[in-house]
Amino acid sequence: MSNLEQHLGTDWSAMTGQDWAGLIITVLVFFGMLITFWLTLRPSKRKELEEEKYKILKDD
Amino acid sequence: MDTTAKPQYDNGVVQYLTVGAVAFLVLGTFMGTFAAAQLAWPALNFDIAEITFARLRVMHTNTVIYAFGGMTLMATAFYTVQRTNGVKLWSNAMAWWTAILFTIGLLAVVVTISLGMTTGKEYHEQEWPLAIAIAVVWTLYTFNFMMTIASRNKETHPNVYVSNWFFMGMMIAITYLYVVNGLAIPVSLFRSYSLFSGVQDAMIQWWWGHNAVGFFLTAGFLAIMYYFVPKQAQRPIYSYRLSVIHFWALMFGYVWLGAHHLQYTALPDWTGSLGAVISLAMIIPSWGGALNGMLTLSGAWDRLRTDYILRFLIIALAFYAMSTFEGPVMASKTVNALSHYTDWTIGHVHSGALGWVAMVSIGALYHMVMKLWNTEMYSMKLINFHFWLATIGTVFYIVAMWVSGIMQGLMWRAYDEYGTLAYTFAESVAAMHPYYAMRALGGLLFFSGAAVMLYNVVMTIRMANAKSTSQVEAHA
Repeated sequence: MSNLEQHLGTDWSAMTGQDWAGLIITVLVFFGMLITFWLTLRPSKRKELEEEKYKILKDD
Repeated sequence: MDTTAKPQYDNGVVQYLTVGAVAFLVLGTFMGTFAAAQLAWPALNFDIAEITFARLRVMHTNTVIYAFGGMTLMATAFYTVQRTNGVKLWSNAMAWWTAILFTIGLLAVVVTISLGMTTGKEYHEQEWPLAIAIAVVWTLYTFNFMMTIASRNKETHPNVYVSNWFFMGMMIAITYLYVVNGLAIPVSLFRSYSLFSGVQDAMIQWWWGHNAVGFFLTAGFLAIMYYFVPKQAQRPIYSYRLSVIHFWALMFGYVWLGAHHLQYTALPDWTGSLGAVISLAMIIPSWGGALNGMLTLSGAWDRLRTDYILRFLIIALAFYAMSTFEGPVMASKTVNALSHYTDWTIGHVHSGALGWVAMVSIGALYHMVMKLWNTEMYSMKLINFHFWLATIGTVFYIVAMWVSGIMQGLMWRAYDEYGTLAYTFAESVAAMHPYYAMRALGGLLFFSGAAVMLYNVVMTIRMANAKSTSQVEAHA
């Protein structure tokens, strides 16, 4: 086994319930961030989102 | 129907919390300055148990974080949620109960800590009856805030402004972090033992400890920044989309950082590495947010010459950028090996606490005083004077701690030719004296600025009240 394989390899049979919970949360957070970036930064949303910033200037 | 009428909001409770925050800023910085002086000149302990450094330091942290910081967060949250949603508070009575119970609870915390009643958990020293009371008050605050947003007119206000998201993120995160870290078995009215033990207890403690910084002292005060910087600058925030990214990156990322407080301990090595890696990754959203605030002034930087309140808000962002870079660097194992357990950590904390949290709060509080009492400040020159006292005091403090901390770390790890330690611990303590004196001077300057602010705010309120009384008499 190369050093890289040894470094990145995982003994899946040794994973506990907590390990799986942590892994699933990590992967979900990763995809959550990707979705957030996509939803926020796509050009079609630009006008709608940027309009929000003007509203507080006249709130009082 | 009079369409020119100004909207009516519940301002009384915000006024109470605003003045309370300024008063607690003075009290908390006085305690901190006194504690700093005790380290430089230990005779100032006076052999009085209630004010020895060990207790006074914790009284200081509780007063500045929870009393000053908490009241500022409550004042600004109740102020901004009404204005950004165009609606009064869902329950003004509940807001008043929240504010008054919070004040009583915090005074009780300070008194019980001075009497030696403490859980010994950093930033969670309150013993179980007070911890439960604080959690209940915090829940009332959260519930009222969210119900206010829910009760807005969805036709005129279909979306929720980003500052409200930062406030809600803070409220939710602090609720579960505070409650989980506080789980304990009471053995008497003022004594309890943590439900966790050993390294698990340490991990839970710093999961809470760093997120008290990440959510209470960062997300909450970013909410303040996203409302008050545009309002004071009278310009929209540079990029709304960047603020949304900033929010979600902070919410997803911050909860992973706590383990970097436990490098080189019994905690599994990978946990500390994970904390350090995510800490470094957090530089990106943090700097994105800081730039977002600063670039709001694009094309209007000259405003900083004349608008002293804006100066507080913008220098706060500079300190935010600096401390969110310094923190991840200190989290990396190589730097942590030198910096951990030294005064460098204290310097880092105060570049965030004084430079970021206090400065952005002070800017917001001055802004609110003028709006809430519908008046100009008693003296703008005093605000400028306060700005320089606070800035120079902060720089004195953090430079002293940087030099002191790095020197400590180097002295502790120095070996002689025989492989034994080159310096005793006592020698390293003696070498710190000039820097401890310099730190006390920095604290004194910052405290003096807070006292100037209290005077200016009180005189402004008296001036506004006298003006409104004379107007009533003129109409009568």
